[in-house]
Amino acid sequence: MGEQKLYQASANWLKSAVDALCAAGIEVLAPTQSESGKVDLARVTSSEQVIQSYPNTAFPLKRLFLPMSEVLLEYEKGEEGDVELGPKSAPAKELVILGCRPCDAAALEMLDKVFQWDYSDVPYQEKRDRTTVVSLACSEPSPECFCTSVGGSPQGSEQSDVLVFGGANSAALMQINTAKGEKFIERLADTVTPAPEGTKLPEPTELEQKFDPQKVKGWLDENFESNFWVENSLGCLGCGTCSYLCPTCHCFDIVDEASWNRGQRRRNWDCCSFALFTLHASGHNPRPDQAARYRQRLMHKFKVFPERFGRVACVGCGRCLKNCAVGQNLLADLADIESR
Amino acid sequence: MRSPYQPIAATLEKVAEETPNIKTFWLRPAEPLAFRTGQFVELTVPGLGEAPFTPSSSPAVAEQMEVTIMKAGTVTDRLHELQSGAKLGLRGPYGKGYPMEDMYGKELLIMGGGVGLAPLRSLLYQVFEDIDKFSRVMLLYGAKTPADLIYPEQLKEWSKREKFEVLVSVDVGDNGWTGNVGVVTTLIPKVKLNLDKTVAVVCGPPVMMKFATLELIQMGMAKDRLYLSMEKNMSCGVGKCGHCRLGPYYVCQDGPVFTYDKIETLAGLWE
Repeated sequence: MGEQKLYQASANWLKSAVDALCAAGIEVLAPTQSESGKVDLARVTSSEQVIQSYPNTAFPLKRLFLPMSEVLLEYEKGEEGDVELGPKSAPAKELVILGCRPCDAAALEMLDKVFQWDYSDVPYQEKRDRTTVVSLACSEPSPECFCTSVGGSPQGSEQSDVLVFGGANSAALMQINTAKGEKFIERLADTVTPAPEGTKLPEPTELEQKFDPQKVKGWLDENFESNFWVENSLGCLGCGTCSYLCPTCHCFDIVDEASWNRGQRRRNWDCCSFALFTLHASGHNPRPDQAARYRQRLMHKFKVFPERFGRVACVGCGRCLKNCAVGQNLLADLADIESR
Repeated sequence: MRSPYQPIAATLEKVAEETPNIKTFWLRPAEPLAFRTGQFVELTVPGLGEAPFTPSSSPAVAEQMEVTIMKAGTVTDRLHELQSGAKLGLRGPYGKGYPMEDMYGKELLIMGGGVGLAPLRSLLYQVFEDIDKFSRVMLLYGAKTPADLIYPEQLKEWSKREKFEVLVSVDVGDNGWTGNVGVVTTLIPKVKLNLDKTVAVVCGPPVMMKFATLELIQMGMAKDRLYLSMEKNMSCGVGKCGHCRLGPYYVCQDGPVFTYDKIETLAGLWE
């Protein structure tokens, strides 16, 4: 898009948008809070369920495009032993995601690169195509946030069809980035109005850069063999929480789940921290210990992915360090690497 | 748009035992499945899953495919129990395969270890088709014991072909074995290599690939004429799932065959 299109809406924009979209029969995911206090994007049917103020959601967006467990096809064995390997019909309903944070939207860029290079991953792409992403710019980053260290910004608009500034306590400003974004604005009808000419976006929220990915990559380039990998992975349980909560981690495994005469082929999230991830049928395992697996995770995110796809596979959301059961801290590890 | 994960139906037409734990399976896909030699397919055993295999049959035949498979896991255990008539699935082919054009005009050194001869047999069938374009073909093949050698009759037959030299070795012989004993690399000094005009293709277990490579390089083999099958644990076959990563490469799509110059500097190459 050439010139930037800005619209303004009331502080109550999120609830108005939910009601307008639900009334139009569109599937809506919006921020909600559970009784235990967990904030997450959930399917809503009314603005009553929606909250407007939160640091970030518990889960990133990837599970909406790459579900934790997804049926790829279903099959059934007939009387004669014939097998029907039928594709699973995908729901093609339009979906609008409201209120994700810019880091989580930006992560879709990395997923797109993987799922679109060479072969197009049809199950992923169908969900991507039917979805409009409306992000909410951050005015108060959390202590674990580090998007500015990995090329992002609390106001980054990457992969957001619409980026919304303000709201909750003040009027909202909406930056329209794509055709899908324009369609979203049309749906909001008279609850939004074009911003007056000369309207400027708010000053960027400051977030200190905590490490330099170029310096990190420089060290990674030279240090495949280093005690760092053993020392910093001794505490790792190999549980996969960091990968499962990572907006950019996308590894999966394809398995069959069958009963007597019918079954499903599913793809399930997998993780390079797991011992079985690289195990050959022969019993040989190229990554036989946790140090090798931890090295793979960091090398892939901060060396290999940038070499292949042009940017680091991390958006600085901080979920991995916030949720690790044994206090593994990616940010501290990267700062450690940078200081070497 | 068709999902890359959707297999086509395939019927198991025939099974033959090669060794106590290796069998060859004749498959007929519901529609012809053309492949280049060295490319692989994902073979579905409904209910058990799918696994990657490189066909061992001629790439000139798309209507039927032979795959020689060692019993080594969930999918292959069930495969080994199946009888002709069983319904399976196939998707692919995937990967780049052997660039035959780059090999024409050269002397071809083919080294196989164990069941690693299976994909090389497909290459050999292609070489038979193109035999005018090769001045010499050397096949060095090794297995653990005489009972573990696959295609024993064909090995004899191939050794009689014009331009062909076939040398076989076993790690451990038995009472009836009069041939060479030792790992497959011990066969290298037994052929007179003209390294300046030789292309080498190596396929076998990681440790065999490593030592064959190091020995050939030490002798002066050009790195960009040494083709290695860098198979890994692969799941999707289409460069998405992340299992087969080797440095910056997706082995399934960027390989599985690489020339050594492309991968020699990768940390952890032989792990």
